Amino acid sequence: MRHDFLDRYSRQDSPLHRVSAEAKLACAFGIVALTVAVPVTAVPYFAGLACALVAVTLVARIPFGYLGRRLLWMEPFVLGVGVLTLLQPEGWKVFLGIVVKSTLSLVTMVLLANTTPFAEILRVLRRVRVPGLLVTTLALMYRYLFVLVDEGERMHRARAARTFDQRRWHGWTTLATVVGQLFVRSTERAERIYAAMLARGWK
Amino acid sequence: MHIPDGFLDAKTAVASTALAAAGVGVALWQAKRILPARQVPLLGVTAAFVFAAQMLNFPIAAGTSGHLIGGVLAAVLVGPGAAVIVMTAVLVLQCFLFQDGGASALGANILNMALVSVVTGYAVYAATRRLAGGTRGVILGAAFAGWCSTVLAALCCAGELALSGRVAWRVVFPAMGGVHMLIGLGEGAITALVLIAVARARPELLDARTEMTRPGQALVLGLIAAVGLALFVSPFACGWPDGLEKIAGNLGFEHFAAEKPLVSAPMPEYGLPGLKGAWVTPLVGAVGTLTAFVLAWVLARTLTPKKES
Amino acid sequence: MTTAIEVRNLSYRYPDGREALRGLNFSIGEDECVGLIGPNGAGKSTLLLHLNGILPEVPGDGAVRVFGQTDLAGMRRDVGLLFQDPDDQLFCPTVFEDVAFGPQQLGLPETIVTEALTRVGLSGFEKRSPHHLSHGEKRRVCLAGVLACQPRILVLDEPTSGLDPRGRREFKTLLRQIRATKLIATHDLDLVAEFCSRVLVLDRGEMVADGLSGEVLNDMPLMLAHGLERPHTLQHRHPH
Repeated sequence: MRHDFLDRYSRQDSPLHRVSAEAKLACAFGIVALTVAVPVTAVPYFAGLACALVAVTLVARIPFGYLGRRLLWMEPFVLGVGVLTLLQPEGWKVFLGIVVKSTLSLVTMVLLANTTPFAEILRVLRRVRVPGLLVTTLALMYRYLFVLVDEGERMHRARAARTFDQRRWHGWTTLATVVGQLFVRSTERAERIYAAMLARGWK
Repeated sequence: MHIPDGFLDAKTAVASTALAAAGVGVALWQAKRILPARQVPLLGVTAAFVFAAQMLNFPIAAGTSGHLIGGVLAAVLVGPGAAVIVMTAVLVLQCFLFQDGGASALGANILNMALVSVVTGYAVYAATRRLAGGTRGVILGAAFAGWCSTVLAALCCAGELALSGRVAWRVVFPAMGGVHMLIGLGEGAITALVLIAVARARPELLDARTEMTRPGQALVLGLIAAVGLALFVSPFACGWPDGLEKIAGNLGFEHFAAEKPLVSAPMPEYGLPGLKGAWVTPLVGAVGTLTAFVLAWVLARTLTPKKES
Repeated sequence: MTTAIEVRNLSYRYPDGREALRGLNFSIGEDECVGLIGPNGAGKSTLLLHLNGILPEVPGDGAVRVFGQTDLAGMRRDVGLLFQDPDDQLFCPTVFEDVAFGPQQLGLPETIVTEALTRVGLSGFEKRSPHHLSHGEKRRVCLAGVLACQPRILVLDEPTSGLDPRGRREFKTLLRQIRATKLIATHDLDLVAEFCSRVLVLDRGEMVADGLSGEVLNDMPLMLAHGLERPHTLQHRHPH
């Protein structure tokens, strides 16, 4: 898996990247909350926000192509649920409102992820007193996400290379075996991580 | 099932966030007291594992594919209390890093997929696994629980959408319910297959974990999940008064929901489009549940390693 | 010479009942550099985990002494353990946090982190995430994390495995600059021949040889009997 697709631009330098993570996080949440709460008829607000987000993208030097690809990647989720609104009288109004609101919120969150490294977000969470166990879980998850995804893909390839039965059910059992093995390896890794934490004096 | 931003109104977002916070809070508080230090890294790595497992696509038909959600799998592997924390971490990371699920809907998503899914799934698992012994019981319980948890989480999600006044209940209920009755079959099958693989490689991993959750905690978590279902699903399914609307009014924050709902929220008439009558929904539900249970039974009978039975 | 590590009658069984270590006895003097070799599954990693008290799970029979101490805190402070897989050892989201993990637990100042990173040639990497590093860089961050705890004894588990020739060369240069008692468990026999004056050979949990590396590594029957071979560097120097 390409590890940097999600937050590829989070480590570059720009005036926006230098703003404190606390401020960016508060801002992003504020924008999302406001966008969700304002009535759909507040067209000037949406237009203004769209312009502001374009400006932010320019200042942060995040390519529009990348932003577009991230949106395309996510939009099906929005449309999939949104399309249900069309099945009711006057549904297109609701649909339009939802699409505008969720797209603007989505852009806001993509920009947040690409101007703020996740480690910084974790630091803020710790600072605002999110329980330590949850932050530790998140930190370890972020750290081992890519390690495990890679491990899973390697195991799947190795299995597929020796699989000659093309029936679908067989494919499922193979994949499930990979997932099961991945869990066994994960618990073993968790034990080694625990040892490594102890070795450096963790109490 | 990840709800994006813009789909929930203020009262639904606030109520679901409060419930999610209460549930995750209980799970964290208990874990802090009883989780052995050596299991702390296991939570983070299991969260990464659930995420990695979600990335593997299971081919269905005609080029489409599905993937695991993993609530029941996590609950069986690390116990329900720890699974709530694990699934919460998965959803928080998906929200921040992948923008999968909106920031304003994070509470609702945690309620659906980390609480309702895990807790109801585990309850069903614990009850059904007793119907057969050993590994066969685990497979039967997990497969059926996988289906139930997916459907219930989807219904809770549908209730939240309907209560927000974005989609009419009689549209969103059959759509979400129906689709997830199928998706749930996949979830149940994958969960069972994965557990068989774990049982083959390291059988001791399947029984050691439940001790990480205390009965009292399970009860409180179950209560929170039940309140969630009651709040978001029952107003529609039973024609009860809209509890949340009333609470919002009493607390005086209904004006936060500045947008007038275009569809009035509680819909007395429900069921599949074209079919009238109060008996249709329960009938479809009952037939679906029965089918899922029978399939889980067949799966457990055919797939349990022979030497065990 | 002060005794850095003293192991007396150390045995260990895995929780599943398999015997991993059987009655080991040896000691290592301060500032010695000792190689630990043996086939896969000989118990090398298990032995290393005993040296700073991660194993046994229930501590306290005093089979291992580090500068005379048997208490966990003291052993862990004095023994720095470099794990085989850098992915196990780098568990924090950024390089800085990871190197700072040990010093934080020990109450050492944070300035040590920058120093340790400079020492392994990675200053400026503080904000990087471990998953954006190459294998060699990860290994050096691990080393920085261990050095930042200022251990008197460095215990290395397969330090050169998975490194390309350049990474291996760089790592060896680093290792040479570190002044500490060293115990290196490895399959890289050339590394042992180059660095270690003394070698321990472990097979199936038993210590089958303990002697000067020149003698042990040249003892063909012994080496072959335990799944090892003579290092290439020695083969060229002493053709038979």
